[in-house]
Amino acid sequence: MTSSPHQITQLLKAWSNGDQSARDQVMLVVYEELRRMAHQHMRKERPGHTLQTSALVHEAYVRLVDQNAVEWQNRAHFYGIAAQMMRRILVDHARARQYAKRGGDAHPVSLDESAIVSAERTAEVVALDEALACLAAVDQRKSQIVELRFFGGLSIEETAAVLAVSAGTVMRDWTLAKAWLRREMRATGK
Amino acid sequence: MTPERWQQIDQLFHSALECDAEQRDAFLREACKGDESLRREVVSLLGSHEEANSFIRTAAEDIAADLMAGRETQLKRGEYVGHYQVVSLLGQGGMGEVYLAHDVRLGRHVALKRLPAKFTLDAERVHRFKQEARAASALNHPNIVTIHEIGRSNSSHFITTEFIEGDTLRQRIAKVPMTLDEALDVATQIASALTAAHAAGIIHRDIKPENIMLRRDGFIKVLDFGLAKLASDIEPILGAQSLPKALHKTDPGMVMGTVQYMSPEQARGEDTDPRTDIWSLGVLLYELLSGQAPFTGETASHAVVSILEAEPSPLRNHVKAPAELERIVMKALSKKRHERYQEASELERDLKILRLKLDETATLRRVTTNERETKTAASVMTTGEVVQSLPTASIEYIVGEIKRHKTLAIAALLLLLVSVVGLAYFLTSRNIPTKKSIAVLPLKPIDATNRNEVYEIGIADSLIYRLSLMKEFVVRSLNATRKYADLTQDPVAAGQDQQVDYVLASNYQLASGKIRITWQLLNVANGQVEEIHKTENDIGDLFAMQDAVASEVENILLARFVSTSSRLAAKRRTTNEGAYRLYLQGMYLANKRNPTDAQKAVETLEQAVRLDPNYALAWAGLAYALRPVGPVKSNQEAHQRAIEAINKALALDQSLADAYSTLCESQMYYEYDFVSAEQSCKRAIELDPDSSQAHDIYSRYLLSRGRFDQAISEIKTAIDLEPTSLYSQRNLGLELFLARRYSESVVQLKRVVAMDKNFDTAHFWLSTALAMQGNESEAFEWLMKLLALRAVDDETIQAYRTAFQMSGWQGVLRERAERFNKSGEDDIDGAAYYAQTGNKDKAFECLERVYQSRNLWMAYLKVDPRLDALRDDVRFDELVRRVESR
Repeated sequence: MTSSPHQITQLLKAWSNGDQSARDQVMLVVYEELRRMAHQHMRKERPGHTLQTSALVHEAYVRLVDQNAVEWQNRAHFYGIAAQMMRRILVDHARARQYAKRGGDAHPVSLDESAIVSAERTAEVVALDEALACLAAVDQRKSQIVELRFFGGLSIEETAAVLAVSAGTVMRDWTLAKAWLRREMRATGK
Repeated sequence: MTPERWQQIDQLFHSALECDAEQRDAFLREACKGDESLRREVVSLLGSHEEANSFIRTAAEDIAADLMAGRETQLKRGEYVGHYQVVSLLGQGGMGEVYLAHDVRLGRHVALKRLPAKFTLDAERVHRFKQEARAASALNHPNIVTIHEIGRSNSSHFITTEFIEGDTLRQRIAKVPMTLDEALDVATQIASALTAAHAAGIIHRDIKPENIMLRRDGFIKVLDFGLAKLASDIEPILGAQSLPKALHKTDPGMVMGTVQYMSPEQARGEDTDPRTDIWSLGVLLYELLSGQAPFTGETASHAVVSILEAEPSPLRNHVKAPAELERIVMKALSKKRHERYQEASELERDLKILRLKLDETATLRRVTTNERETKTAASVMTTGEVVQSLPTASIEYIVGEIKRHKTLAIAALLLLLVSVVGLAYFLTSRNIPTKKSIAVLPLKPIDATNRNEVYEIGIADSLIYRLSLMKEFVVRSLNATRKYADLTQDPVAAGQDQQVDYVLASNYQLASGKIRITWQLLNVANGQVEEIHKTENDIGDLFAMQDAVASEVENILLARFVSTSSRLAAKRRTTNEGAYRLYLQGMYLANKRNPTDAQKAVETLEQAVRLDPNYALAWAGLAYALRPVGPVKSNQEAHQRAIEAINKALALDQSLADAYSTLCESQMYYEYDFVSAEQSCKRAIELDPDSSQAHDIYSRYLLSRGRFDQAISEIKTAIDLEPTSLYSQRNLGLELFLARRYSESVVQLKRVVAMDKNFDTAHFWLSTALAMQGNESEAFEWLMKLLALRAVDDETIQAYRTAFQMSGWQGVLRERAERFNKSGEDDIDGAAYYAQTGNKDKAFECLERVYQSRNLWMAYLKVDPRLDALRDDVRFDELVRRVESR
């Protein structure tokens, strides 16, 4: 990791001031840091412990951002990005796993039913990702709430803080978004 | 759907939820006022809401854990991986499962190994693994398995290799024990594979019976080059990065099988090198011969302790093996790397010679009668002695000869030794490339709205890696160049910032599944474009695309630079044999680092550059020889001449590591400019990480800064690179002394004087370290030996004896101080004698003069324990300040 907390903090500020290339750089750094942390976590292979996405995201924040110098708005930006990157990491993984299970595109092999307990959830992640993209087209904020809650592991209150809305709004949006996504995913047969 | 419509739905949905279930229908009918599609939309969402209770209730945590853990299932018969159809499972190990598979395109059988996902998460590491595995395969060596493809079928990485019908060595030895002849044959073939791989810079790191295939026709094939490295970061067993973890793995058999072949350096988690493979081959050969592994234990931890500490029981306890074979195996199994075979080729050669000898004996035996056969059998047992007297290892042979004769011939033999060591040096130095420094910048999108950072960094990374493999280049790391991703960054300015000769800057465009890259090679000095090319590739497989781009760039750069580099390399070395010989002799003398030899070294090296004025290395060597002890009139003159020589060397070859490391000496020992000194030394190491001299000098720099642990680690690297350098060996002793680790210092210095009984300064420091330790009588003994070496007259020796008898080591120090005073010389040692005998004023006067003469030892003022008595004096602080702030 080459970026110091100071640099990231500067980038977040630049981004707040409308510098889009700063946003791209933050994205890259956060992506790499989360991936690195996730892999490191995986290497530890502590049985009985699940990989806590929220813990990862919070840890990334502590590692990457100089807390004393960052304003509230920057913090929100950071969490937004982190959740988005976490989503990318998990969905990429899930996709890869799905293909691997099928054993290649040309010759799909029927899956051994007993071996796919977790495959169901894997498929769910991919389907959710696609449905979320549709939701974003209709309602950006609701899509973002799901991203923050589900992929970023943020609580209702944290999500509200990041989006600068009330916890009640987050609750309402979350409820409808879930119903909408559920319907969407069922409709596409996933 | 319009935003207004969606807002309507949103409101109705929540209002309906607030109603009691039985009133919902009526409420909606009323609220939608005949808009049937609106009502149905809300009803359907409410329906999903009921189901959605268990849906994405929690965060993605459990999925994340499952996904990341990458649990995998075995492939089944008939399943496809790319264009390979699985036939059967051949085996399974820590590095993945191996299948027999059918290549449907080429209609042949292959062995397919699927790598566990956890090894392949890091694209960079996979990339490196590919390079190394391919490089090994490309050697086309009969004992190295041929790789057909390293590929990826979606997320799963796999390797396909030629399918070898036969057994693994593990399976083979489980069936019937090997005969001596078979074992030697197998070991020789493995050594031959290692020789070729090591020459190409590839280390296997996991030589064990499971990784050796035995073909029916007797050929052996070494599998899985590079794989151990790929796994090492993840699976600590092989990289031994965390041994405790390795030892607590659930499958003890697996761990044990792997641990037994592990070298001491792997067990300690240190870096591996070719000698690591030599160790593992030693373990394997021991096992083939004796039927049991040399290092074992009840548990893996016990086995590791045994590897680190136990001497294996002699082979002769298990099997009737020739003494020479015992020697070969034990040499391969030396705990210390520098005591092992240094190269696989040496081991290979010794094994071959032994086989020849055994064959001769066997032939002899065939033509003899039964009666005589008994005698020859005995001679098999003594073959070792016969072979040992052959010049199997030239240096050992010569050393042996020296021990045998102990006559005036010693001098002649020493010269021979110099030229043998020198020849080895010449042969290796011929391979030292001349390097250009280059920075590869992240790619920039031509269209900023259509960009992909993965390509920008990923391709740059591939290029950096590929260029770093080329001997012609010193490449800046991705970490150094990543910051130039800014679209407005001027590449030449980036190059100046990075202080490189060249910058590789590229633009790219994405369109319909293709990436088009325009890349330029810019000369930083004049800002000119020296090469410009376009490449176009399919994006489909990211890795394949990156590799293709890197290959194209590499080819063009190779064509461009190779001729230049050979021209430069010629300047570095010489075609003049006389000059070369003088250089070797001069460096040998220079490394003795005492005034008499240094004077001779300077003269010899001056002759060398007179014979070939374009001989850059000799110029650097001359500077090096001028440095240590002021062989000429003053330090100032020596310094000026050294700087001139360094400039000559750098003018001929600006990437000569030896010139920079010598420059570091000038800066630290004469200019007392410690900041520049560190930069020079780091540059030297960067230019040639294998330069023992650079590491040696850097360690002395670190020492002067009081960074003892780093210094000692550096000097050990220097010794590892050049184990025969007595000077570095002595420096280790000296550094331990200055780090106040006296007992270790004594042990090391005793080792040095055992290696060279005439090493003046090693005697001096040994005596000093012993005295510091409080071991006065032994200190005195070594002082006497030193004085004998210097052929000091009897009267002086008698004076020291009397002084020691009267008042111990203090008496000796007083005697030395007095004699020093009379001599009128100025030397740091004099100041030390005054300091240690309580004559502070004299000590400071002396130090002042030493400082004025720019003595090199002033660099160590802060750390020398002999000066401790002066440290709380304000004059000392003042002196330190003057040295340090220069």
